[in-house]
Amino acid sequence: MKPRVHVIRWVGLSVGLVLLLSLALMAYFAPDTLGQADITRRVASPFDLPPFGADRMGRPLLYYALQGAAIVLWPSLIAGAIVAAFAIIAGLARCAGLAWFDTLLQIFSELMGALPRMVVVLVVALAMPRDYTSLLPVAIAWAFLAAPGAMDEAATAAGRLGGSRFVEALRAHGFSAPRIYLYHIITLNLRSVVIRQAAEVVMQVIFLEIALSYLVQVPPVQPALTHSEEFKSWADILYLGFQTATGGNWFGAGSLIHALVLGLVLVAMPAVMAHAFRLAARER
Amino acid sequence: MVRGAAGILLPLIVPAIIAMIIWGLPGDPATTICPQGTCGETARQALIERYSLTSPYAFLYSWLSRAIFLDFGISPVTIAGKEVWALVATSVPNTALVMLLALGPITVGTFGAALGWFPRQLDAVFQGIGVVPAVIFALFCVAFITIFDLGGIGAFGIPMFEYDNWEVSPMKLLAGGLVLGLADGALSGAVSGTRSVFDTEFKQRYIGIAILRGERPMVNAAPNVLPTLIGQFRSRVLHLLSGTVIIEVILGIEGLGDLLWRATLDNDYFVVLGAAWGFALISSFLLIFQAISGVVVELMIRRSPSVPT
Repeated sequence: MKPRVHVIRWVGLSVGLVLLLSLALMAYFAPDTLGQADITRRVASPFDLPPFGADRMGRPLLYYALQGAAIVLWPSLIAGAIVAAFAIIAGLARCAGLAWFDTLLQIFSELMGALPRMVVVLVVALAMPRDYTSLLPVAIAWAFLAAPGAMDEAATAAGRLGGSRFVEALRAHGFSAPRIYLYHIITLNLRSVVIRQAAEVVMQVIFLEIALSYLVQVPPVQPALTHSEEFKSWADILYLGFQTATGGNWFGAGSLIHALVLGLVLVAMPAVMAHAFRLAARER
Repeated sequence: MVRGAAGILLPLIVPAIIAMIIWGLPGDPATTICPQGTCGETARQALIERYSLTSPYAFLYSWLSRAIFLDFGISPVTIAGKEVWALVATSVPNTALVMLLALGPITVGTFGAALGWFPRQLDAVFQGIGVVPAVIFALFCVAFITIFDLGGIGAFGIPMFEYDNWEVSPMKLLAGGLVLGLADGALSGAVSGTRSVFDTEFKQRYIGIAILRGERPMVNAAPNVLPTLIGQFRSRVLHLLSGTVIIEVILGIEGLGDLLWRATLDNDYFVVLGAAWGFALISSFLLIFQAISGVVVELMIRRSPSVPT
């Protein structure tokens, strides 16, 4: 391996893990409520109320950020795990030479891949009872819809290895089946595809939550589809900041431009995390 | 064959899933479709008779047999009493315009990557733009349009599109197309996807032989990569279709995506069925088109002369 590639992979892994850990810590410390309104602190800047300032009711934006992380953490990770599992199955099926299973996977891929994702997401949202609001069903639906792409790429990667001939060759060398499938195929050869696809789906689910939570804020305002009313999404931070941006009061008294900056930084977080993991999982 | 079969099945699967959901929810389906606060007992009875709301199969058959003749029922909630077909028909032109505008960057990206118009150093720029989620890009456009007051009639001297029963700001349409075509990796996907297909193909032995014979690699590779490129194009069009929901709601464009969103929030099953079926039909058409074009390209390759003597 070239030394530069080696460094990039380690930097990518470190950055990705740090951001993932930050997300997990934010979710862990998320409060159940935003707390009492405090008019004396309304629209406080980050200097007046560190680290992120306050909203129009004087509630810290930090709590918004923590609650937003709690909304997205587990559903996005579960969605990523589902996609990773599908990709591994498709890669292993190609290597095992199971033609009928390959055909079944192709049918699944064609059907799932042909469904417009947002339509399915909205149908899932429609099916959810209004008193049960969670991102999880939407995230799982998204994972199933994203799975065909990951499966196709994993199957192609496995096909490039030589498929069942690769397994036969390793068997001839005396390797056991678990070692061949778990180490040689998954760890050494499918890892790059699986981690990249899973990281992308984690990012997509977080973006999806932000989009859905933002859309319900567009008048006429509706109850959130992905979280309970006590919780605030990162989209709420963006919405607060966006009102300031379109109102023209960028730096005057009562400006919430710091909310917009915070919202954009939070949006950038999963994107950077996904890119970091993509770099970490690069092929040798 | 699998692709063609999936294309045929898709318009059946989507309403079937929605029918299953209607029957899966607690309470009787007629009340789910038309809640008691909206429909009286007489209206609900008429609904049960008209759409055979006795079983999911009967409902599906009844709805599909009417949908073929563009009778999608009447919206009980979103715009109460209005024909769903009329709602869909009003929404389609805006969505079609946004889609057409969005296809611009993607088509340019595909041809640019295939024909080498863009240097590879630009890929990083495209990827950077592609990382921006559609919702952020759309918000930026709304802010731009609002701050500079470009949403109304005569913005930049472009007249507002006005028809009998709908109107839309050209700037919003333009912004919608731009956001769809650039955000969420649409353009960068088109460029990198096309590049990777051609890069892989150019490594094949026959391309080396073609170069030795003095032929252009592109001419030799194009027929072989065409099915893959068509497949990529199909998935990109689907991606754009999905994206219309976010773009249209944020930018305030009254299109099919916006209609689907409003109907979802209103629990208006007939409108969701109509709009989702519309999306499924487009996807089905694309799938069948891809399947047929794959067969045609295969036949062309087999019939072409192998080696000039």
